[in-house]
Amino acid sequence: MTTSLFFVQLINGLQYGLLLFLIASGLTLVFGVMGILNLAHGSMYMVGAYLAWYFVQQTGSFTLSAIISAVIALAIGIVVERLLIQRLYRRNHLDQVLLTIGMIFVFNALQSILWGDDPLGVQVPEAMSAAIPLTDVVEYPVYRIFVALVCVAIAAVMYFMINRTRLGMLIRAGESNREMVECLGIDISRLYTIVFAIGVMLATVAGVIAAPMSSIVPGMGEHVLIACFVVVVIGGMGSIKGAFIGALLVGLVDTFASVLMPQLSSMMIYILMAFILLIKPQGLFSS
Amino acid sequence: MLFNKRTERYFVWVFFPLALLMPLFLEQNTFYVSKLTTVMIFAIFVMSLDYLVGRCGLITLGHAMFYGLGGYIFVIIAPEYEAVNFWVYTFYICVIAALVALIIGFLVLRTSGIYMIMITLAFAQMAFYYFSDSIDFGGNDGVFIYVKPDTSIFGISLFDLDNPIHFYYLCLLSLFNTLFFFRLVIRSRFGRVIDSIHENPGRTTALGYNVFVFRLMAYTMASALGAYAGYLFTLQYGFVNPSMLAWTTSGSALVMSILGGMGSIYGAILGTLVYEGLHYVLEHLTEHWLLFMGALIILMVILFKNGIAGYLEKLLEKRS
Repeated sequence: MTTSLFFVQLINGLQYGLLLFLIASGLTLVFGVMGILNLAHGSMYMVGAYLAWYFVQQTGSFTLSAIISAVIALAIGIVVERLLIQRLYRRNHLDQVLLTIGMIFVFNALQSILWGDDPLGVQVPEAMSAAIPLTDVVEYPVYRIFVALVCVAIAAVMYFMINRTRLGMLIRAGESNREMVECLGIDISRLYTIVFAIGVMLATVAGVIAAPMSSIVPGMGEHVLIACFVVVVIGGMGSIKGAFIGALLVGLVDTFASVLMPQLSSMMIYILMAFILLIKPQGLFSS
Repeated sequence: MLFNKRTERYFVWVFFPLALLMPLFLEQNTFYVSKLTTVMIFAIFVMSLDYLVGRCGLITLGHAMFYGLGGYIFVIIAPEYEAVNFWVYTFYICVIAALVALIIGFLVLRTSGIYMIMITLAFAQMAFYYFSDSIDFGGNDGVFIYVKPDTSIFGISLFDLDNPIHFYYLCLLSLFNTLFFFRLVIRSRFGRVIDSIHENPGRTTALGYNVFVFRLMAYTMASALGAYAGYLFTLQYGFVNPSMLAWTTSGSALVMSILGGMGSIYGAILGTLVYEGLHYVLEHLTEHWLLFMGALIILMVILFKNGIAGYLEKLLEKRS
């Protein structure tokens, strides 16, 4: 492997890892704070990609459609949490698995009804359709770098929000002791609604910004969901920092495996996960 | 009394005679006979999962790995153009699957709860990608089976596996035996220990039982049975492909087992029948059956907490 190819793969791996982090952080946030395992999380990624396609068709502006999609995602998050997820807090993981599998079915059916089953594509926004030349023959698309930067920015905002704001303080408090937060006069169910809606929005935004890089197909949600599971388990369920490290690890391993050993490439991240769980059964950064 | 719940006795007395007579009514229509056969095969798989999840409290999202392995082991060890003996290969497949389960269980059972859900999923995905990427096993298309095994014992052939009606009865027999087998297991000393582990692992350890070893035994047993179901499925359709190992197979089996009533074993049959029945009906009514299926599952979780078996038991045993 030449240096420039190595460099390209390195950026690819990091960029894929950052995108995975964006999705996985929502999953791990919802699990960490609310104790809910949301299998339908990947479906929101899919919804994001389809919403991006639809609104780019309607408005012609990628930025505008990203904003509309994020708002719709928040609304979906609030409705789903109030209507369904709230009934699950005192139930076991099994009921959560079942209910969220039901949600996957509903989302997949709605996607097929609203947008059909043919693969769709979104154009890369005009302003970012260029590519940066690395050597004479190798160049790197600007849009992918933009995606990586957006992910880093969102990660930074989340870090700031969780560690420095009042909402973040409540989230951390809710994570460690639900009853105590309630006793202090905080409306925990409202907090949960907010956290769930944020989680849904993160997955949807990831779907929106990933839309111009990949084809939009049915079943894309499940694929990404499984990758997120790997990330979250490696990092430790409920840990945002763990999700960050786990996502970068998975992104790099997946990218380099597909270059270096194509036969084993799709197995590689699962081997990594099994290996890490054997050493640390609770993941790298479990609390 | 082997079937100690009244509801379960009713179920056995209603279901099995009906299932025995069914092919008489469907004589001209082998489509429905084949469909019912597939449902029964899957019910065996769901039962083995139900024992693990409902009785042992070991939630796995990777049970389909063994369903697929049942088929793949057969393809690997059986000669391609020669009929082998069905019973001998049943034995081989169960033993090999049990060995695989022993190794995987040894790793998986070190974790619990949510982590176990994920790591079982990871192993199943590994197997899925291994078979779907490999050239030796036909990748996504899988492998065809040209010659079906013969089922003779001491020279007497019992079932002709190419005949759908014969195959139906073989699967019905397997289904009944599996139910019977699990009843025996649950009633045995081993089953009591497993129930007590489910209730309270700490106290069971204090009583001097090695929780890990018992769980490993249960995991191995259920996995071998899951492989048997996969083997039957492979023989019915004459091929094996990676979709048998996909996580959606594990997921829908889990849905059926919860729908039927977790841990009741016979509920797994009910759950599979109702799920597949609904699937069939909705698929014929509308292209978007998935929407109604999803909505039904969501409603079920919210309204029926103990599945169909739990509901029936409440209905039937109140009067006694």
